Amino acid sequence: MACELNLNFLKELEREAVLEVLHRDQMVRKTEEERVRKLKMQLQQLRWKGARNMSHEYQERSCARCHKSLGLLMNRGAVCNGCSHRVCSECRVCLNPYLWKCTVCYAHGDVKIKAGEWFFEERAKKYPNEGRHETVGAKLLKSYQKLSNISVVPPTPPPFTESTAGSNVTVNELHQTKSFNKSVENLFLSFTTHIKKISKSQNDMADRSLLTTDYGQNVEKRKERRSQSDTAINIASRIKSTPSRQQLITGAQKSSEILTERNCKQEEDIITSPASDTVFCEGRRHGSLYSLNSTCTEYGNFGKADVTGEIEFAIRYVFKAGILEISIKGCKNLAYGEEKKKKCNPYVKVYLLPDKSPRSKRKTAVKKSTVDPEFHETLKYKIEYSQLGSRQLQISVWHAGALKYRVFLGEVVIPLAVWNFEDSSAESFSWYQLKAKLEKPEDNLVQYSGELLVSARLSVPAQDKNFQFEKWMREGKKAQEAPSCQLQVMVFGTKNLPVPRSAGTLNSFVKGCLILPDQAEVKQKSPVLKKEACPQWKHLFVFDGVSQAQLQQSCLHLTVWDHASFGSSDRFLGGATLGEKESFGFTDPDSQAVLQWQEVLSSPNMWTDIALVLHSNKENFKS
Amino acid sequence: MASATDSRYGQKESSDQNFDYMFKILIIGNSSVGKTSFLFRYADDSFTPAFVSTVGIDFKVKTIYRNDKRIKLQIWVSGRVPPRSGVRLRAGCSSPPDPSSLPPSPSQDTAGQERYRTITTAYYRGAMGFILMYDITNEESFNAVQDWSTQIKTYSWDNAQVLLVGNKCDMEDERVVSSEKGRQLAEHLGFEFFEASAKDNINVKQTFERLVDIICEKMSESLDTADPAVTGAKQGPQLTDQQAPPHQDCAC
Repeated sequence: MACELNLNFLKELEREAVLEVLHRDQMVRKTEEERVRKLKMQLQQLRWKGARNMSHEYQERSCARCHKSLGLLMNRGAVCNGCSHRVCSECRVCLNPYLWKCTVCYAHGDVKIKAGEWFFEERAKKYPNEGRHETVGAKLLKSYQKLSNISVVPPTPPPFTESTAGSNVTVNELHQTKSFNKSVENLFLSFTTHIKKISKSQNDMADRSLLTTDYGQNVEKRKERRSQSDTAINIASRIKSTPSRQQLITGAQKSSEILTERNCKQEEDIITSPASDTVFCEGRRHGSLYSLNSTCTEYGNFGKADVTGEIEFAIRYVFKAGILEISIKGCKNLAYGEEKKKKCNPYVKVYLLPDKSPRSKRKTAVKKSTVDPEFHETLKYKIEYSQLGSRQLQISVWHAGALKYRVFLGEVVIPLAVWNFEDSSAESFSWYQLKAKLEKPEDNLVQYSGELLVSARLSVPAQDKNFQFEKWMREGKKAQEAPSCQLQVMVFGTKNLPVPRSAGTLNSFVKGCLILPDQAEVKQKSPVLKKEACPQWKHLFVFDGVSQAQLQQSCLHLTVWDHASFGSSDRFLGGATLGEKESFGFTDPDSQAVLQWQEVLSSPNMWTDIALVLHSNKENFKS
Repeated sequence: MASATDSRYGQKESSDQNFDYMFKILIIGNSSVGKTSFLFRYADDSFTPAFVSTVGIDFKVKTIYRNDKRIKLQIWVSGRVPPRSGVRLRAGCSSPPDPSSLPPSPSQDTAGQERYRTITTAYYRGAMGFILMYDITNEESFNAVQDWSTQIKTYSWDNAQVLLVGNKCDMEDERVVSSEKGRQLAEHLGFEFFEASAKDNINVKQTFERLVDIICEKMSESLDTADPAVTGAKQGPQLTDQQAPPHQDCAC
């Protein structure tokens, strides 16, 4: 039901009022999505625990859930009428004296009601096109985006202590002129990152209050919370938030991967016969075509052929499951990978840019000796709909030669922001002309290594700050008149950090290096967070005694490291820059970080949330 | 319009993930029957006699403990959208309706109200339950109930749970709609019925709790019918074993 929501008819003030409500709704929805995601993850873990290991032979007489062998007379087990698997007496949940279900079937039903899916299923009877998620609010926010005469600003959390400088009523925020100077896209981007951050950090109330409070001068409080969170973070303990299933998954192996929902039968099918379906769960796939790395093709170390031909594929988004599907039908008229030998063994590789890590990679099977291959494969990504706007689909065709020799045959890049996923006619197969790689060498060098979520503010001494700041602005930024202030940078954590396959986790920490105009460097380090694949440090860097004018010409390098034991050197994981970066002759592809730096400096005593893209080129960062 | 204080409250509540179910409830009814007051009484236990018309939509979040489960309620108030008599759902209702071309609505107090329709009707589809409210001192609001009910049937899912609530039952002196009339209409429409007062805090909690219970019942039913392989029998005994609270129409 693509019922377009047109808001042009609202008066501006009314729009602002509605917008405020929509923003609050967005937060509620994000919280809910996060909760549902966790529920499903727990369910998946439970299934994995029970799923038979491929290397083990299927033993007839063992419990399908805990693998305990079953006796012939004693503890014979019984068949669950949900999934038809034989389970032992300990893996049952009694619903009433006459009825029981195995732990997985029970958890499945439990998740279904807890996630509210029963409602979406019922609703789908009347509105078959309606997704599993609430889309009204999102649609409305989108239509706001289209309105040029109103700026979409991230909802600023209201302060708990009212301060004079930032009377943060949302409506006032909307009037602030600086927001009008930016393009709506920028604002919306920062809005979504803001929301993402909130949904990331909402695991406990302490995190939340970091985002919503602290407009006053209670740095003390902040420090206290930090020390508490430095030690108390453990993914495992967070996962087990629901007591009813907590008992069920004890012993389930810990995994931080995001999981797809599917009923228990399907899941076991996949595990026992990996070829039957190729669903990918954010980087994890149950198929066979998962190469360990693509170093040869990633670093430009590959052969080049003349690019010819076309590729036929279809893209669609399954709202119900939250999965992006790319159906690759085939190619025609490809160039030969090895022209002299007239050889071509094509395959298709897909990345969901900007993520270039292996978790974003999907590949089809290799077709032998053809320039008109037919693949008929569907590659899938589990991704939130709201994220698609910032992604590009890179679909490239390669020739697989002998000994890992790869030849690039052409690619198509589709920006998903402009793709209309709600229009079913856009889901049909189309032919696309293959193109040569864009000649952007720096693009190949600067690799995406996840994101760093930070919040920064410039703390200006309380006395008369407004006056001083205005005066300073008026008098043309004279450094000597500028007050001495404090730059505070809260490093929350990372997203999509590349994790070495061998270890699975990291002992990571963050270094902050503030480079002042005179090339002086102020360095700080966060504590090491041990054995976390997705570290959340919540560490506050404080740079004292700097002036606003100085900061205007300074930049802050934030780098993430994997702490090495036994004296070997720490491993660089990624770095990001905030502020001016001319000193290295290196320009960030997106100037977002520069803009955000300006925003921090121009709004003293206000926290600005920033999602920094981490880059893998170590030499560009001081640490 | 929600003030900064309200949104702060909302955010605090909304960030909490510690609950078992999330239900969305929509309160509808003519302008000034007391929908927002009803919501504020329930969510914040506050009451302001001054009338502030809701712009478009608003909501509050409240987490309750019911039937051994923590249930997060997102309660929406639809503002200033009177129903159109004989409304029909038009596929792809993209343009805002032109007020002049519409049949006169019995309760349209400003022409501007129509403009919100596209926003609010969009929210019907996400709501699991409805509170349809009229004002016992306002005949017109009672007469509009039928239209509102049609609106629910048109825009909402088939199993939408509806409670009919006659608000302002503290104003017995000005009553124009008798309890009996209200009960009969509710029976006719197949809804459960309460008389309540947001001002004196009569039956407010009961109304919401009853609605939550009905939604819970629907939830276990839908599991039974939709997925027998998984559920086998009554799913969630914790829900169905619980007895519905004694039905109380009006305490005044």
